[in-house]
Amino acid sequence: MNIQLNEDPREILGVLPNASDETIRGAYLRKVKENPPDREPAAFERIRDAYEVLRDPHRRAMHMFLSVDPEAPLLCLLPESNPERRFTGPHPWLVVLGEK
Amino acid sequence: MRVLLAKGKTRPAVELAKEIHKRYDSPKTEALLVDAYAARIRSLLETGLKKEARELFELVQQRYSCGRARLAEIGVLVSASEGKLEELLRLLSDPALPRERRRAIENAVKSLVSDLNALSECAVLASDHPLRTAAAALLRAFTAVTAGPVEPSTLELPEVSHRSPLASWKILVRAIEYFYQENDAACDRCLELIDPDSPPARLIPALRSMLGARTEERLKPAANSLVTEVCGDKASLRRALQELDSAIETKILGKILPEIERATATCEVACPELLERLRQHISVRALQLDLPTRKVRAAMGGASIKNAYFWRLFARSVESSRKPFGLLICALWEQFRRHAVAEGWFAENSPEAAALYLHMAQFLLELPVETLEVLQRDFAAEFSGFHAFYEDQPPGIRAVQAKYKKNDLYFLSPGSLFERACRIDPRREAFEQWWQWAREQESDWRIADYVAECWHRALPNHSQPLLYLMESAQKRGALNKATEALEQAQKLDALNPEVRRAALRLLVAQTGRHLRQRKPHLVEKDLAALEALPQARAADGAAFLVALRWACETIRGNSELASGFLSQIGGLLGSSAAAILACQTAGRLGGLTHADFDRLLPQRVSVDSEGSLASVTARVCTLAGEVGANFTIPTAWQELLLQELTNRPSKLDVRQLDMLGRAALGRNQREIAYAASAAGLAIEGGAEARFLLLRARALPEWEAERRSDCIAAAAALGRGQQDMSTVKEAVELWRGRCSNARKNVLDWLESEDWDEFSMTTEQIDAVLQHEKHCRAFPPDRYARSRTPFAEAGYVNEAENDDKPFSLADIAQLVAGMSQVLEKRQRKARRDRDLAAAEQGELF
Repeated sequence: MNIQLNEDPREILGVLPNASDETIRGAYLRKVKENPPDREPAAFERIRDAYEVLRDPHRRAMHMFLSVDPEAPLLCLLPESNPERRFTGPHPWLVVLGEK
Repeated sequence: MRVLLAKGKTRPAVELAKEIHKRYDSPKTEALLVDAYAARIRSLLETGLKKEARELFELVQQRYSCGRARLAEIGVLVSASEGKLEELLRLLSDPALPRERRRAIENAVKSLVSDLNALSECAVLASDHPLRTAAAALLRAFTAVTAGPVEPSTLELPEVSHRSPLASWKILVRAIEYFYQENDAACDRCLELIDPDSPPARLIPALRSMLGARTEERLKPAANSLVTEVCGDKASLRRALQELDSAIETKILGKILPEIERATATCEVACPELLERLRQHISVRALQLDLPTRKVRAAMGGASIKNAYFWRLFARSVESSRKPFGLLICALWEQFRRHAVAEGWFAENSPEAAALYLHMAQFLLELPVETLEVLQRDFAAEFSGFHAFYEDQPPGIRAVQAKYKKNDLYFLSPGSLFERACRIDPRREAFEQWWQWAREQESDWRIADYVAECWHRALPNHSQPLLYLMESAQKRGALNKATEALEQAQKLDALNPEVRRAALRLLVAQTGRHLRQRKPHLVEKDLAALEALPQARAADGAAFLVALRWACETIRGNSELASGFLSQIGGLLGSSAAAILACQTAGRLGGLTHADFDRLLPQRVSVDSEGSLASVTARVCTLAGEVGANFTIPTAWQELLLQELTNRPSKLDVRQLDMLGRAALGRNQREIAYAASAAGLAIEGGAEARFLLLRARALPEWEAERRSDCIAAAAALGRGQQDMSTVKEAVELWRGRCSNARKNVLDWLESEDWDEFSMTTEQIDAVLQHEKHCRAFPPDRYARSRTPFAEAGYVNEAENDDKPFSLADIAQLVAGMSQVLEKRQRKARRDRDLAAAEQGELF
């Protein structure tokens, strides 16, 4: 599998949680067109795996049940986005330097 | 004292020096004492205790005559640490300053100067002194790099050489530049290069935190503020969560509670939408660690919401604990199901619900049948729901619980779970699992029949349930019902190999019954029907039909005709020994006895040149398997067969050896089964899993550990070789082993069976090589202890030395018993804790 348990296959295909089978298939075909296997093999495989999970109700359900890891560090709850990096001027930096 | 100073133990060094000086009171000891004080003052400066350093410095100067001279250098450092760089730097203006002294002052500048502005404006140095120009350039670059994007030329800083006492500052400026350019790897490399004793090193934890790295040490308040100012509140939350994770790893309540408080408070400010989820995760972690509920709840600032997300998390947490809490897991998944349906995750009768029922059933199947029955009774008697979890919950959550006022404990029964799953989402896999479970309920065949009937009704195009019904009816002797089921299966898919084989077996069974009923005319009809079946004539099937005719004529008393059939079978199978075995198999099916065989069949067996006794036996054994007849290896052949299998390289193929081994096991002829497994393991070609499993079955009871290893290795190898039937058989054997070997429920619960049933590649290889090497059946190690007393009395002392039950053995046995006792006590404690978690200590 090219998708992790904690990843939402719906997000990979870009469909809503209550999307119908037809919508899911439509989204899958659209994504495949955008990421053909010869040009984007890794992305294509992720899309294909996400679709494979969603098209089979049993696998879809199992993914739902198992897609939470109670042992994972709490830090994983934070979305993986790059934190901001604001320019503050030298003052707060110098305060740290002056703090023994 | 020097040794103490070298180890950085300045306080005891001073104490020792004082003692020495008190006793000897000489200029030498005074100098020694002043040196100790100097080291102590330096140490105070390094730890930031400037005031204390100054007071001690002045005291020593006043008290000891040699103090002023010996403490001159340290005095400069004390002043420098107070921001009075002049005293320190003034010395640098002296061109005659010795090189060592200059280097010492530069080192002091490197470790003490944290104010670039003061250095750049230090009046005791010439305005073009390299230190002043370097400090000014660094200050400009530092201001620029923290204020906005900069031109690369701004940060070139030719004024600061890599040997300069301010070189670490230059690296710091670079690190900050890379940080803002989001070149984290380069930033990290720069941080590695900063001298850890220099003031720029004080920014390393904050910068690492801003890079998202996990650091063990807690940030100081100023560093925390910097991180928040630069990266926003989420960086603080990240840091708080990291620290909470670290605290949880320690499992110490006193460390965890403050971190919970800090993390939830930070989360409320930085990311309020995440707060509820964080509380739920903390609650489940606390349950895992068995932390006091009220305290955790207070630290979180309120109870977590017990919605579907929480129950799923809790259920997964108990699942991942790999403890045999099958019933509790099912109860938790049931809670999840209720809330998930109420919250619209899926509908009550959706495929998701069916998948959940199957998932729950798997946990119950892990428990041996008798254990499950005991646990079901206990659980039903004690379980009163999860009421305590619903304290302080919003009305919407409480309403879900209220909807199910009566405890429906359907989730304790695999049968109910399977039935619900199959009713909602009738799939082959689900019915197969249900039927497999039902078939194991040996006490009542009607359960399996009920499942097969449900399957047939739900999926009428499947031939499998019909074949199951046929087989079940055939076993009970209800041949008409069996024939009815077979006819339906044939209508669906007459070409299906399973259906064809079933038809052959049913007709053979019917022939056997007519033979036993001594109705030769009906046997004739059956044989005619059998001959019409193409599958009955395939391979050695024709020989078996003649064997049935032999049995029929024997029953009729027509020994001449029977003898002719015997010869015909010999011709078809190419061996008189094979003919005898085929006749015995058919005769046993028709109710003939050993006495009949002794009377009617030749007693001397000759094996033809083309085949060994083993290959003949395997051939007929395979034939019997095809037609569904019981096969027995004649007792008189055992010795010879064993010799052949053990001593000669086998010409048998994998299937023949497997069949032979299974037939031997069926009659408890373990040594033959063992020899067949040895021959099978010697064959290269990917059937090792199957023969390891045969080896496991063939091993005697006293080789329990070896047996477990073989089963586990067979399952692992089977998975690798895609031999799923072997894997399934191994798992069933393992579960059977557990239930047979440990009758006591508590003993079973204490076992580490869950962990044992997995092996590394190296372990598998070791087991395989060991079993390949052990070709001989293991000797009975306790045989000597069963030696009659009179005989044992004459055994000489040397032989008695290693008798099985020595004092050491008994001591070992007692030690083992105490371990079991300890395990049992641990189990009792765990149960108490679990009960507390279920009933009261809830979040």
